[in-house]
Amino acid sequence: MGDILQYFLNGLARGSIYSLVALGLVVIYQGTGHLNFAQGEMSLFATFGAWWINDHGVPLWLSILLAASFAFVGGGVIEFGLIRPAAKKSPFAVVVVTIGLFQAFNSLSGLLFKGAATGLSFGTIFPNKPKDFFRLPGGAVWRYENIGVLLTVLVITALLFLLFRKTKVGLAMRMVANNADSAKLSGVPTNKVLMLSWALSAAIGTIGCALVAGINTNVSLGTMFGVFLLASAAAILGGLDSPLGAVVGGLSLGVIESFVTNYPKDWWASTYIGADTATAAAFVIILVVLLARPSGLFGSTHVERV
Amino acid sequence: MAITITESSAKHWALRFVGVATLAGIAIYFASGAAPSTLGKITEACTLAIAAIALNLLLGFNGQISLGHSAFAGLAAFTAGYSVNAWHWNPWLSLLISCAVCFAFGMLVGLPALRLKGSYLALVTLAVAFVWPTVARKFLNQTVKQSTLTGMKLKPPTWTGLANNRADRALFLFWLSITLLIVAYVVVRNIRKSRIGRSLVAVRDNETAAAVMGVNLPLTKTITFGISASLAGLAGWLTAAQLTTLDENSFTILTSIKYLLALILGGAATLAGPVVGAFVYYFVDDLLKTNAPHWDFLPGPLSNGPVASFLLGAVVIAFVFIAPTGFVGLIKSQTRRIAIVVPRPLRHSTVAEASVEESESP
Repeated sequence: MGDILQYFLNGLARGSIYSLVALGLVVIYQGTGHLNFAQGEMSLFATFGAWWINDHGVPLWLSILLAASFAFVGGGVIEFGLIRPAAKKSPFAVVVVTIGLFQAFNSLSGLLFKGAATGLSFGTIFPNKPKDFFRLPGGAVWRYENIGVLLTVLVITALLFLLFRKTKVGLAMRMVANNADSAKLSGVPTNKVLMLSWALSAAIGTIGCALVAGINTNVSLGTMFGVFLLASAAAILGGLDSPLGAVVGGLSLGVIESFVTNYPKDWWASTYIGADTATAAAFVIILVVLLARPSGLFGSTHVERV
Repeated sequence: MAITITESSAKHWALRFVGVATLAGIAIYFASGAAPSTLGKITEACTLAIAAIALNLLLGFNGQISLGHSAFAGLAAFTAGYSVNAWHWNPWLSLLISCAVCFAFGMLVGLPALRLKGSYLALVTLAVAFVWPTVARKFLNQTVKQSTLTGMKLKPPTWTGLANNRADRALFLFWLSITLLIVAYVVVRNIRKSRIGRSLVAVRDNETAAAVMGVNLPLTKTITFGISASLAGLAGWLTAAQLTTLDENSFTILTSIKYLLALILGGAATLAGPVVGAFVYYFVDDLLKTNAPHWDFLPGPLSNGPVASFLLGAVVIAFVFIAPTGFVGLIKSQTRRIAIVVPRPLRHSTVAEASVEESESP
């Protein structure tokens, strides 16, 4: 019983990060219909930036915030300078540009930060001593770091929902998501909204990547591959145009991953299933869900006219 | 003023003949004088071109995206490598079996594709590509009990008169890859020009309308997936013929991305696009990898380490803006100023019958 609770809590912490990165993907997708393949590597680059600032004596939390604001500006610039002109060219163009960005950012991180390939040690902003945990009934422990990650993600998610629901900017974003043409006709500055989506997404992704780096205690060029894959899976599981779906999808994927990694070791001999198979199992589950609901759990379905 | 050339006229055939003769000339030139390493590079570029052709059939003509083609290629390579090494099969038999296995597996992956579109389909196929290295590693650990799988060590058959040394093997693989590239090209060309090809494009442009016109959607889509997968399998088999060892990192998601970039750089939904794109991609990549570390004019930190991969990313992005419809699209739009190929005019009988019907109808 204690084990189950333990796996659940561990999964919740990782899952909350997936949901944060997934939120970043959804923010872009609902505005433009593009899946940003470079999301993980853009935030990885910014996280290396945070490492660099921190290395120069700035407290870690401040460096992460600085890196996130840098990513905010960078995201907007990329939308304005590359994505928008590419979208005018051809439907494939944006996909190719984001894949190109993926490659460029990953190798740029390797170029600018020495030792990035093998990993640079990255601190955590939460208490992380061996004894920093609550003991829960059944022998499970809830580490302060896991609580901190979960709370950070919940606060950011809550702020995002407030932004979407209670502000004029959020209303404009939802209008563009719902129907870009009508929004434009009603005087919404669609271009600015799209730029803002990319900026927000890059900033959110950076915080997500910094949290992953904190949990892993290091950041390397490969840090975001798996996280991005699971986050995009989470976004698709929840429905690419639903922020709520991203959160639910991310949390459930984190928990599934945690259970598959740990639990079956006892009964289905570890030769068949193990840590590396966890992600595979998560994808099989998503496949089943998508077969039943092709646009995700919370995604909206569109009726097409011929 | 541009010259007009009628399709399938004597002039058009002459142009085609000149084009094919030039390509054949280039191939013979390289075969007669080039070093084995150069031949090896061309072989690899041909392999990439076959994979891009496979993806073109699916994505360009049928509108279904797949990031899972690396898994199909990997499956074929492992099938070939294992059957030849462990069961001592004839490599040529393993070619057929690998393609058949990939066809079946492709149909299977094509089933969920019936319900999914766009980014959702991209993710499911991405999952296939992601799962493949895990499966391959399990297979290596459990069945082969080694960390790598030995390649096929394909020997040139005796009738070619080639010996089994490095230079002759490179020459043999060079001609083999060109032959297989032509086979893949002709298969896709014939599909495209036939009734099936038109139904593929109809499905891509508008599924509902295609179904109304009588296209069997599920059958068309899954069979296309299968054929595309077996062509990717052809590329995988060819890889297994070239490499001495295969492991789980031979076919990763990055391989799939490479196929996709090659296709889109060349021009999706054109017949020559994937071939041109694969060669451009492969040799730009190769050029950057060999030369970038020696470029002194680059600013300090850029001139070492993974600069080639950064520049490749930049080249790919720049290409989107220079040639949004791919390299072939760019060439077409430029040559259009010099010469235009116009379709053959309708035969008179058809026009006459139509006009007769029109006059009689009221």
